Amino acid sequence: MVTGEAINLELRRIRTILFVMLGAFGVLVGALFLLQVVHGHDYERSLRNQSMRRIRLPAARGRILDRHEVCLGDNQPCYCLALYLEEMRRPGRWTNTVAGVKQTLTTLTAIVGRKPLITEDDIWAHIRLRLPLPLVAWRDLDQGALARLAESPTDLDGVDVYVEPVRCYPKGELAAHVMGYVGKADFSDPGEDSDFQFYLPEMDGKVGIERVFNAALAGEAGGRLVRIDASGFKHAESVEREPRTGATVVLAVDARIQELAEGALKGTAGAVVVLDPRNGDVLALASSPTVNPNRFVPVLTSAMWDQANNDPAKPLLNRASAEVYAPGSVFKPLVALAALESGRVTPEMTFDCTGHFERSGFRLGCWNLQGHGIVNMRRGIEQSCNVYFASIGTLCGYEGIEAMAIRAGLGSKTGIALDHEARGLVPGDAWKRRVLHEGWRFGDTCNVSIGQGALTVTPLQMAVVAATLANGGTLYRPRLVLSVDDGGGPYQTNMPPVVVRQMGWPAAALRAVRGGMHDVVMAPTGTGRRACIEGVEMAGKTGTAEFGEKGSGNKHGWMLIFAPFDQPRYAVAMVVDEAVSGGLTVAPRMRVLMNGIFHGEGAGG
Amino acid sequence: MSAIRENVGRVGRMNWVMNLAVLLLIATGVLFIFSATHAREDSTVGLWRQQVVWAAAGLLCYVVTALTDYRHLRDMAWGFYAMALILLVAVLFFGTRIYGARRWLMLFGVGVQPSELGKIAVILAGTCLMAPPADKFEGRPRMGWSFLLAGVPMLLIMKEPDLGSALVCVPLIMAMLFAAGAPVRPMVALVVTGVLAVTVVLAAVALPEKLGVSAETQDRFFRTIRVSAYQRDRIEVFLQPGKDPMGTGWNKRQSQIAVGSGGLTGKGYLKGTQNILGFLPKTVAPTDFIFAVIAEEWGFAGAAGVLAAYAVLVVAGLYSAMVARDKMGRILCVGIVALLFTHVFVNVAMTMGLVPIVGIPLPLISYGGTFMVITLFSLGLIQSVYVRRQGI
Repeated sequence: MVTGEAINLELRRIRTILFVMLGAFGVLVGALFLLQVVHGHDYERSLRNQSMRRIRLPAARGRILDRHEVCLGDNQPCYCLALYLEEMRRPGRWTNTVAGVKQTLTTLTAIVGRKPLITEDDIWAHIRLRLPLPLVAWRDLDQGALARLAESPTDLDGVDVYVEPVRCYPKGELAAHVMGYVGKADFSDPGEDSDFQFYLPEMDGKVGIERVFNAALAGEAGGRLVRIDASGFKHAESVEREPRTGATVVLAVDARIQELAEGALKGTAGAVVVLDPRNGDVLALASSPTVNPNRFVPVLTSAMWDQANNDPAKPLLNRASAEVYAPGSVFKPLVALAALESGRVTPEMTFDCTGHFERSGFRLGCWNLQGHGIVNMRRGIEQSCNVYFASIGTLCGYEGIEAMAIRAGLGSKTGIALDHEARGLVPGDAWKRRVLHEGWRFGDTCNVSIGQGALTVTPLQMAVVAATLANGGTLYRPRLVLSVDDGGGPYQTNMPPVVVRQMGWPAAALRAVRGGMHDVVMAPTGTGRRACIEGVEMAGKTGTAEFGEKGSGNKHGWMLIFAPFDQPRYAVAMVVDEAVSGGLTVAPRMRVLMNGIFHGEGAGG
Repeated sequence: MSAIRENVGRVGRMNWVMNLAVLLLIATGVLFIFSATHAREDSTVGLWRQQVVWAAAGLLCYVVTALTDYRHLRDMAWGFYAMALILLVAVLFFGTRIYGARRWLMLFGVGVQPSELGKIAVILAGTCLMAPPADKFEGRPRMGWSFLLAGVPMLLIMKEPDLGSALVCVPLIMAMLFAAGAPVRPMVALVVTGVLAVTVVLAAVALPEKLGVSAETQDRFFRTIRVSAYQRDRIEVFLQPGKDPMGTGWNKRQSQIAVGSGGLTGKGYLKGTQNILGFLPKTVAPTDFIFAVIAEEWGFAGAAGVLAAYAVLVVAGLYSAMVARDKMGRILCVGIVALLFTHVFVNVAMTMGLVPIVGIPLPLISYGGTFMVITLFSLGLIQSVYVRRQGI
């Protein structure tokens, strides 16, 4: 049995706890009394005088310029007509005020000549939720409406023109796939105190440069203190922190060449990439068809987006870097280099093309059914002879070709500053076993030797290959952005050219392959002769790749170019989605592009 | 039939003053959840209805618990404790992340805050530990074990992170040990150590600028003692309210203005301007800051009245402890009263700007399902002890 003494101790202690707790409540009541009754008037005064709200002021988005400072992404003021409801407050219930607001809206409708964007429900919601913010009643006012408003004799208290910076793309569709577009920001990470302040919506880059450099472009919102009293009247305001405009992003793109590149693709689906082989600068990156990103601002409706997204022509797809194609014959220069590197093939070695290649039960036709006759490397490249390349490819062996393709950057991202870049595929034994559950065969080597089979590349990757062939073996990472300038802020950067690797091609091998590519364009029998322009020696390679079902007749047309031949300043890859052949479909378009680059208006740099 | 008669008898023996206080507080809560949300457009407008549903569920739980013999807890307490620990671990991995903290766990479509279960689990298990079966009290209660018992859930709750809820466990276990007859000296020593530690942290927040300690040293110190940036902000704001009137100081200031401007009798129900115009932080007005709404609209009279109702609960709870038929009943009541008291005290003091802002709700009044049901369950336990008091 427990002793009474122990129980008494416990009871005493419970009583102590009781006194402590009641004492603590007493302290709270005392503090409440001090706060509410003794100092109540002070707080009532501060309620009147010092109720402040912080309003977030959106920053203007940074500009995007081309390499010659032509503006591709800018902001334009969007003139809105806004009501400041607290200034329109009428005595008594809010219903009185709302009636007044509706009256004002009617007056304004006559002046603006357009119905307001808001309903009575919106007015009530605004009063409840974001009273100190302007309530936008009309957006996108034209000059006429602004003029009429300025002249309007009516006394319009609490009505003001409110200017919002809105993204615009002065060149419209130009470089749309590089630029991307902006949309309403997702406030995914509002932080601890987000609900305690008012936030104005801000835009976020959704794709392209707008997305990749979003943090730099976005700038920093500022804040404004608005002093309001308890009845909703605004007393004064002061800017606490000015918004900081976003950084300027300077692209390597040359708007003139970009325009030519897009012109060359007019009326067809395809892509063009123009690189400067001396440093990897992306002078143009075009994909067709395209969209005008201005259509997506200031508000991208889901209907508009669905329409663009479900369009069978896929205008939102960046075919230059996010889509893969079978390279066809434009892959052949790499096969030639691999074969020469293996030591089992020399440039002088000849093969007899009878119109088809047949070995070990595998048969492959040459595009020239009559056969090319006796063919060496230079002529093999010029004529894009399938029999020649199947022969040297099998002599070299697949490992050499695979290694060369991978070293030339195929099968992996180039690292360009764009999102959604595709890798493409350099197939091999391991890949085939994993995906198709069978081993590598002789026929696969033949197919890859002419750029067919499972091999896929992006136009950007092939432009890098062309640039590397052009400059003698230095593989640069495509440089899309030259600098980010935010006036010395945290995003300030200059981006020097980046050498990914030296290919180490022997001079003799390079001479043979480049010689063949020279003849492709410059020889009267060359497959790419239709690309030839006056006064400039060029080199290139055409390609035609089947896709889809075998024998369906669907073909991509390709062409690579670098020029001028001796000291190349441009390396180009062009692909057309549905083509007869590279030589017939793509070369004439390439001619238009190269002619524009060298002889067009503004050329000569 | 006899079972029914017996239960009706028990209902009659309940502490009806306490029942009345409970109902008054719940009704006040529903009224002011409505007041805090009625002027708004979003989904919170219907919160008061949800609160009514939770209160109904909680009251059912309250009555059932009151009728059930609290001594059955001996069989369940440790299982409940283990379950609470499991949920506290689970919330760290599967919890819903809100504002950077994982405090909520979705169980069968209902959001549950395991930290609330953790607190009650500490009380139940602590009671079993300090009041061994058959009332054979041997010497001193097991202090070391008690601290371990409270410490494990505390650490888990801190990890969420939810410093406020974790710290609630301290006065809780202290009050229970004190009532269980533990020697006073080691407890005082522990409290003094704790106060010293807190002082060091506060000093570290406030002093370095004056003493010229570099920001890096300060950062390293806070990383070492694991005080996060936002906790530091809140302490700083508490110490220097003028420092950031538009940022973190917003809540404290607006809450103080709301309370202060209430005056003696308040501005009238549904007429609190701080509340309607959205000066009070919107998300917490119906939860952690509801006392500010009451104080603004009902003034000192209403606020003091609410405190008086809590005082009734404290008195009734500790009275149940004194008349309990065994030690288990005594400790249990003291633990529950300590939990209730701590919540009320910290919440009200925070609303008035007397202590830093921590996420501690006001029992029976703040919006929140888990907490409402758990509070009513624990108050039901007090009634269960009272119904079976000495001499009956």
